Order: sequence, then C-alpha cells, then structure tokens
Amino acid sequence: MSGGMLYGGDEIGALVFDPGHYSLRVGYAQEDTPKAEIPAVVGVAPDDSIKLEAEVKPDDSNVSSRPSQYKFYIDTTYLHVPRPNMELHNYMKEGMIENWDMFEKILDYSYDKIIQSEPQYHPVLFSESPWNQRHKREKLTELMFEKYKVPAFFLVKNAALAAFANGRATALVIDSGATHTSAVPVLDGYVISNAVVKSPLGGEYLILRAREMLDAMGIDLTPAALIAAKDVVRDKDKPRFTKKKLNFQPSNSWMTYMLKRTVQDFQQSVLQVAECPYDDRMVANIPAVHYEFPCGYHQDFGSERFKIAEALFDHAMLGAGHIAATSAGMCDVDIRPALYSSVVVTGGNSLVQGFSDRLSRDLQSRTPGSMKLKMIAANGTVERRFGAWVGGSILASIGTFQQMWMSMQEYQESGKAQIDRKCP
Amino acid sequence: MADVRDIMEIERASTPELTRESIIGSDKPKKKFPAGPKPPRRPEGMHREVFALLYHDNKNVPPLFPSDTAGNGYKQTKIKLGMRRPRKWKWMPFTNPARNDNATFYHWRRPSDEPKEYPFAKFNKKVGIPTYTDVEYQQQLTCDTWSKEETDHLMDLAQRFDLRFIIMADRYDVGKFQKRSVEELKDRYYKVHGILAKLNGEKKIYTYDPDHERKRKEQLNKLYERTPEQIEEEQFLLIELKKIDARKKERERKTQDLQKLISQADSQNDTPRKTDKKIPKKKVPNPSRPFKVDTNHILQAVETAGIKFPDYKNSGVSLRSQRMKLPANVGQKKSKGIEQLLQDLGLDMNPTPTEEICQHFNELRSDMVLLMEIKAALSTCDYELQSLRHQYEALAPGKTLVIPPQLLNTDHETKTAPGEIIDVVGSPSTPLNT
Repeated sequence: MSGGMLYGGDEIGALVFDPGHYSLRVGYAQEDTPKAEIPAVVGVAPDDSIKLEAEVKPDDSNVSSRPSQYKFYIDTTYLHVPRPNMELHNYMKEGMIENWDMFEKILDYSYDKIIQSEPQYHPVLFSESPWNQRHKREKLTELMFEKYKVPAFFLVKNAALAAFANGRATALVIDSGATHTSAVPVLDGYVISNAVVKSPLGGEYLILRAREMLDAMGIDLTPAALIAAKDVVRDKDKPRFTKKKLNFQPSNSWMTYMLKRTVQDFQQSVLQVAECPYDDRMVANIPAVHYEFPCGYHQDFGSERFKIAEALFDHAMLGAGHIAATSAGMCDVDIRPALYSSVVVTGGNSLVQGFSDRLSRDLQSRTPGSMKLKMIAANGTVERRFGAWVGGSILASIGTFQQMWMSMQEYQESGKAQIDRKCP
Repeated sequence: MADVRDIMEIERASTPELTRESIIGSDKPKKKFPAGPKPPRRPEGMHREVFALLYHDNKNVPPLFPSDTAGNGYKQTKIKLGMRRPRKWKWMPFTNPARNDNATFYHWRRPSDEPKEYPFAKFNKKVGIPTYTDVEYQQQLTCDTWSKEETDHLMDLAQRFDLRFIIMADRYDVGKFQKRSVEELKDRYYKVHGILAKLNGEKKIYTYDPDHERKRKEQLNKLYERTPEQIEEEQFLLIELKKIDARKKERERKTQDLQKLISQADSQNDTPRKTDKKIPKKKVPNPSRPFKVDTNHILQAVETAGIKFPDYKNSGVSLRSQRMKLPANVGQKKSKGIEQLLQDLGLDMNPTPTEEICQHFNELRSDMVLLMEIKAALSTCDYELQSLRHQYEALAPGKTLVIPPQLLNTDHETKTAPGEIIDVVGSPSTPLNT
C-alpha cells in the first residue's frame, strides 16, 4: 500500500482467473501479466497404476469422488508429449465453461502449481463471456465457495475488463479470440448485453482455413513432438525427416490438437490481413514470407497469407467491422459517439498482422461522417492477448473495489443466486 | 560567441563588465523570484518519479546544476543514515465499512499506523432513490400502464445501477414484464420521483418530457444515419444556396442603383436646376453626341449621377483652374476612364480655364462618368437578359425565348449609350436612336 490513497490501489492478495477457449490465464491481482497461461485442454489417460512419474499432476480425487483410475495431464509441457490412450478434452464451449470436472482439475492445478497457496486466503475474481448463462455463473460461484472456500468472489464480463485495461469505462470492445469475434458495448463498466454481437470467425477458423490450404498443397504437417530428426532441404524440396519411434498410436484428439498448434504457429507467423479488400494486384507487391514447418519443409508464402486472413473481414454479415457497427447501432443514440470514440481492440486473434488497421478502415467506412472514431489497441502482445486479465488485475486491486466482492458471509446468507445481483 | 561575431563583423552588444559580484555572486541572497504561478507541491507519499511524470511542464524545468546551495552549501548533503530500524509492513486484516457484511480482508499495512477507518469507504456514494410504502403507492402512484411490481422492479434497477437508464433498460426483466424503452423508464421514474418529492414538500421537482426526448433521439438517429452521398448532397446544396444568396444581393443592389437613377430623373424633371439652360450649349462643344430632345430630362438626371463639382462662390478669391479639379470623391477608376475618353476625343487634359471652357469641360467630364455608368448598367442588364434566356431554355427545353430586337444590345449600339437610358428608365416603347 505504498503511496496509500494516492493511487487508489489497495492490494488484498486477490487472484484473477480469465478463462478463454484457448487458455486460462491465472495470476495475482496488481501484477501486470498473469502468472501462467494454461491451455484450456485437459489430457485424460487411464492410470496404469505404475506410479513412477512425478510430473503428473496429483489429483485430489477425494473431492471429485471419482475413482482415481484416470490421470490428468495439464499445461503445455505435459500435453505436448504423446502418451498412450491420452484423449484431450476442451472444457470450454462458446466462451463458457462446459465441462466442470475438467475445469476443476485445471483449478486444482492452478492453485497447486501456479499460485502455490491455499485458496481460502485469496479472494478470486473471474472473468466471463458477456453471454454467460445464469446457471453457469451460479455454478461457478458455488464451486468457488463450496469447494475452494474462497473468502470472496466476483465475476466480471471480460469485455468490461478489457475496457478497463485500456483505461476506459465506456468503450466498444472488439474481442477477437480463438472461437469468436465479438463486439461488446460497455457503458460505465456495465456491458449492454442486448447489443452484443458475435461472429464465429476467430483464430480457430483461421487455423481451419490454413489447414485446408496446407493440406491441399500437400504439405506434411507432422507436429514437432513426433519428429526425431530432420535434414536441411532446399526450398520446396521434399522434407527428409525421421519420426519418433512410438510403440503406440497417439489418440485422434491429441493428433488434432497438435496439428492445430502446428498450423497455429504457421497462422501466427505468416498470415496478414490486407489493408483494403483483397486484391491480387495489390498483394503481389508485398514481399512473401518464408516459413519452415516442423518437418523441415519450407517455402515462401505470398498471396495465400492474405487470402486466408481476408475471411475475417470479407463476410458481409460477420466481418469484424460489420459486427462492430451493428453493435454500436443497437445502442442508444446518445451513447454512440462515446462508443465510437473509444473502440478497444483486444484478444489474441487481433494480433494477426494488419488486423487493427483493417478494422479501423472498415469501421471508418461504416461510421457516420460526423462521428469521431478512435481505435484503442494496445501495442504489446501481452496486453492484447491478456487484455481481460490485465483489466481484472487492475480492478481487483483498486481500493474502492474492495466493497464489491461477494463475500463468503454473503454467500452463506443468501446463496449462489446472489451472484446475479452482486455482479451485474 | 564573441569570436563568431567578430568574424561576421557584427557589432558586439556591450557586455557587462566583469566584476567581483558577477562572478562570485552578490552577498545578499536574491529574494525576489518572478511571481509566476507556484508549482504544485508534491503530495506527501507520492514518489518523486511519479510526480515528475505528472508535472513536467516547461515552466518548472529542473535546473541543470544544483541551485539550492544557499545557506549551507554542500555541507550537509550527506544522507543521514540513522540507526533506526525500518518500520515494518504487516499483512493485516481490515474491515470495510462500505460493506454491509463484516467480511474481513487482508492487506499490507504498517502496524505503526493507527488502524483507522478504511480510507476508500468514503467513496461509497449512492444515489438517493425515493422509496414509497404500499399505502403511498395506492394513493398517489398508481398508473394504468405500470403495475406496482413493475414499478418496484424499476426502482430496484435504479438503485442497483445508480440511475444509468440505458443499463436499466438493458437489464430489464423482459421475462416478467414487457420490454420498455429508456424513455418509458425515465418517464415513469421521474413521475414517481416528482410525486414523492411533492409529498415530501421538496421544491426541486424534475420533469421529464418523453415525447420530446423521443423526437430528439429520432432526429439524432436520422442525422447519424445519413449516407455519405446525402452528406455530400447537403454540402453541395448549402454551397448552391450561398451562391443564390449572393446573386440575389447583387441583383438587388443593381435594382437599387437603377431606381436611384429613375427617381433622380423624376425629381429633376419636377424642379429643373439652373444647369438646365446650359444643356443646349453642351451640344456646341461636343456635336458628335447624338442627342434627342426628349432625353434631356434623363440627361439631367444622369448628370447628377456624374461628378458634382463643388461651388466656389463663397470661397473668396480663387483660381479658376481650381474649379476644373476633379473632386476627391471621384474614384481612381472613374478618373482613369475620363482620361481615356478625353484622349480618344483628342482633347486637352488641362484646357485653358476660361469661364466657358471651365463650365463645359466640367459638364463634359460629368457626362463621361455618366456614360460609363450607363454602359455598365446596360451590360449587366444585357447579361441578365441572356442568363434569363438561358435559364428559360434550360427549364423549358425545346423552346427558345424570342427577345424583342429593341432589347437586344449589339456592338454598334454601345456607342450610342445615352440612347439606352430610355431603356433603363423603363419605357421600352420609345424608339431607339441608332
């Protein structure tokens, strides 16, 4: 509390969780980056009762009352290793938590390995998607209070947090994540839920498109985890590599996941959104990008990079610019100028090269002429990817926020339904 | 610097002489500082670096070298490394009076600090939402379109969202009640508020006009929903309007000028001046001008529009040539025109100022000015006639406007400018001279 009242901050050791479809961000409030980013995927494999590895997350199976015949593999290091019969499960669906058992495993892991402290000492702030359902909010509240015995709990819509992270209480938040791109108007820190517009075009969609293209080109996409050795080959030559010798066949879900990660790397390093609607001639002038796949194959990518990324914008109804304009158009006329004057861009997928430029351009063409349009996009990768988490970190460490928590006492008095009143 | 000046041969400003004072500084400390605005003080506890970020305007640029050497100089700049132990920080529980459960949280605090009320509790401000009892509601607040439950819900939302009506409309329980617009909510809320305020004898009562608001928002919406083409069109129309206005003004000005000529002609006709009798004489020195008797009165009128030479009757002794001087109010353009015409006629610029010559010369020049003015009037009339014709043809394509030949101005007619005066005066039936 150095500086005390001056900065308005008061840190009470709160934790911030920001679950997303791609990963869960965990960390202490008042820090500028999450302590860990855990993929939102849990690997489940039958326990062979040969307990030799210490790396495996010990599961507190007495809580979930499940016979401990499964082992759970969490976090990148464990996930990216092929294991016999390991199936991967994503516990998120449409930006909401779907598989609660798996989610508990992740939470256990976070407290155990990341936070390394007892949950009952730390108030917890969770982010949620703007369209989260009431029963899911209540379920989460119940879980946190009943299982983890947190002293206090709070739920905030991630769009509001992203706006806070960019220093705004009123903003039009364009959040382009793994599965969705959404436009969410935030007014004074409250999400206007009736004006939320989302489109299913996100990082996953780009990966899908990129994979289709790479498959069509006949490029070998063997993930790095399965490659034992590879030789240097010339541009566009057939790759020469040896696969790891496995005495089992990795599960389909694992292969799919690893392929996705491989293509994701390609997507992140190669794709670019053209500044204006795709045009062959214009694109021809932009230098190609060289990319080498894990198998050793490499080549230049020219117009392909633009063609794929263009999908984020060229859909008539689903393009990012269009949903932003639609969302603003659904709000009260009086607040539209305020929304247009702070359009916050956040989410990992917005880091595709040229995304914000194009969005700005698209939106400009849809903005009423007299309206001032201002785009706010954090420059740093961390700030952009973890926008909601950073906002949560700020919010949970503000002195005046400490009266907002739903405390254990309140939970015991009025039950989980209280969350709807406490956290609007 | 001095060297450069020497090379450039710029005279050197006299430098103040070096004195003991100027080097060492005067003994008495300078007390007077320019009475500028005092730089804001750093609040206690704020880090210096942070403060510097907040206040770094050029007025308070830090000095380049330590200037605070008055008094003790560098003698006591040593850090006092006391042997005191640093004060401890401790992870301590606190309760927040802004909460109505007694939840205890922990934060870092110095145990030495007095445990006082949680400092942020004072920011816990709530909007006062009026409350009512069942009886009050039954007596005063009943409304056809609003049930009590719905009103309760509205007040609850108002409390929860601190009167942010847009959010209230967004979170309105659509399952239980019908969907309401922001205006409806505001209307109902302020009505309830007003009635309750009246009951409590408050003087300030808010009124809300939902229809006006709705209309305003509708208009605002229309304003925002204009397409770029519409905006462009509006701009274009505005420019056109400006042009039309300018043209209209121009025309009015011209009509006024003409009117002036006409009215002067009329008044002169009624009360002939003494210059009247001089008109026949005028023909003598300038026979080239084709005059007609019936245009005389117009000439007179026009004469007044020419140059008015001042009378020298009461000025005592004066040179006659003085009378031939153009008055000061004759513009440069006019005098240039006169010169030009005189040259064309082969006349002397400064003829010998006999009584007669003086008189005629002045009249001649006055006529010349008049001629110029009338020519100008004619050409504008002609221009307008043409433009009207074009407009007519544009509006009614296929038709051509036949202009009576006497209205048409041809080149050779311009020479006979005085004849056109008739036209200007507005009697087109008068036969024109050629």
